[in-house]
Amino acid sequence: MADADATATERSRKGLFDRLIASRRVRLAALLAPSGGLLAALLLAPLSFMVAVSFARVDSAYEIIWQPSAANYAALFDGTPFWTTPFVQSLSLSVVVATATTVVCLVAAYPVAYALARRERGRRIVVFLVLLPFFTMYLVRVYSWYLLFGDGGVLNDVAAVLGFGPVGAFDFGVPAIVVGLAHAQFPYMLLTLYAGIDAVDFDLVDAARDLGASRIEVFRDVLWPLTLPNVVAGSLFVFVPALGAFVAPQFLSGSTVLMVGQLIAGRVDSYNIASASAAATFVVVFVAVAFAVAVRYADMGVSAGGER
Amino acid sequence: MAVSLRRGRLLSRALTGWTALVLVFLWVPLVFIVALSVAENASTLFPFEGVTLAHYRATLGDEELLRSVANSFSVATLAAVTATAVGVPGSVALVRYDFPLSGAFRVGVVLPMVVPGVVLGIGLLIYLRSVLDVAPGFAATVLTHAVYGLPFVVLLVSARLATFDESLEEAARDLGASPVEAFRDVTLPAVAPAVAAGFLFAWVRSFEEFVRAYFVSGTMDVLTTTMYAMLAYGTAPKLNVIATLVLLVLAVVLAVAMNVGDVVGAVTAGE
Repeated sequence: MADADATATERSRKGLFDRLIASRRVRLAALLAPSGGLLAALLLAPLSFMVAVSFARVDSAYEIIWQPSAANYAALFDGTPFWTTPFVQSLSLSVVVATATTVVCLVAAYPVAYALARRERGRRIVVFLVLLPFFTMYLVRVYSWYLLFGDGGVLNDVAAVLGFGPVGAFDFGVPAIVVGLAHAQFPYMLLTLYAGIDAVDFDLVDAARDLGASRIEVFRDVLWPLTLPNVVAGSLFVFVPALGAFVAPQFLSGSTVLMVGQLIAGRVDSYNIASASAAATFVVVFVAVAFAVAVRYADMGVSAGGER
Repeated sequence: MAVSLRRGRLLSRALTGWTALVLVFLWVPLVFIVALSVAENASTLFPFEGVTLAHYRATLGDEELLRSVANSFSVATLAAVTATAVGVPGSVALVRYDFPLSGAFRVGVVLPMVVPGVVLGIGLLIYLRSVLDVAPGFAATVLTHAVYGLPFVVLLVSARLATFDESLEEAARDLGASPVEAFRDVTLPAVAPAVAAGFLFAWVRSFEEFVRAYFVSGTMDVLTTTMYAMLAYGTAPKLNVIATLVLLVLAVVLAVAMNVGDVVGAVTAGE
């Protein structure tokens, strides 16, 4: 009797097991289909189409004429010497601005992330105080930086009241753009770093300290290497959107400089779609290379969360 | 040893001070916006010419502006619902299953957050118009923002799922629950705070998103495109009012959310 039962269970378990494998696949497909479909249809396809258009011609009636050529790319670099073209100039400026923004965010965020991870007290309130600015309308935040910077801006007014200035750094231009972008992207960096530092086994830090390492050595040899994947991930979340920024430079450049995002948007506005596509494709390739390099160093994992 | 202790205390104070400084930096524009929303002269605080509610009256009487707020509300809600509906199953697949190209999916799902808005905006504009034959407008904006919100949902939910003990769901299965029942009754309640946080993030990102909407919204005005047009004409006081009102609402929502659910945990990866 017991034997028969065991066999029956064995058999039904085997049947169940087979069904499970099959249904596990089905379940996976069902789980993946919606998000995979959305990404394929509205991210992959548009970007691929944009790449295709960058090799085509678009006439004034928005009609795409499929005559494959690299003319749009050639035009981006058509200058003597080639780095004097608006595209190369604006891309170089964007790289500089994005790098500066990333450095500012990293330097500002690392100590805060460390404090958040190491101290229970005050964590909720700090997270609240970080998230609320993050949730405030970006356009309006940039506008308020616009009122703060500039010749007649509040910062220079304050400087004048205090008896120094006008300060050149408070004028519109690259510093103002970096401030605006750093303000916008800071939480991405902070939360990514926090996840990394929080996952560190601080027994290792204590052990290194006990063995005589200075705080600086502990940071350099233990904490930094262990959190490097998060540093890389956080930097990507800051660098790439900053590279293609449009709103912040539009308001804060004082029309003295042009970033690549503005250049692309300007070409769309003037119906120069093919040229805009080529420029955007070039930026995407730039981003992809950055991603590829970063993924080599960091397990992107579930990034903002930081997979344990 | 005493020196080390003193240094430790110094370091601790420095960390506190640095954190405070960074928070001040983050809050400067906010304080500025709120102050200007009630300032007589809304283009600068110096000289401060007195307090008024005139900008609030003007804003609440501006029907065109209120219509664009309503549009933004609809777009954000539909986009966040879509992002959550497709993002939660995607997160489960990502955390629970090993599948070919899962690495690519992992990266792909984060991409909408990273790809610059100008690039995604122009890509979607020409693609929707030429391939899908969707004219720029409401539907195009909802779809665009759904993709934009997806990473926030997936990052928050999958981080939470990764810390959830899967054997609890298996136990429910052993006790006779179907896969769907087990997920709904055991796993979902546990990750609900992260799902809510993901929805909130996706909603807010859509509501305040400008660049992508600028390209794909066509003649439909959402709040940000209206604001942008207003800035071009220099009538800015209403922006401060809108931003202040949104800020107040979100402060309350966030405070409630942080007290009811574990938003800190959800945002900072399920501790």
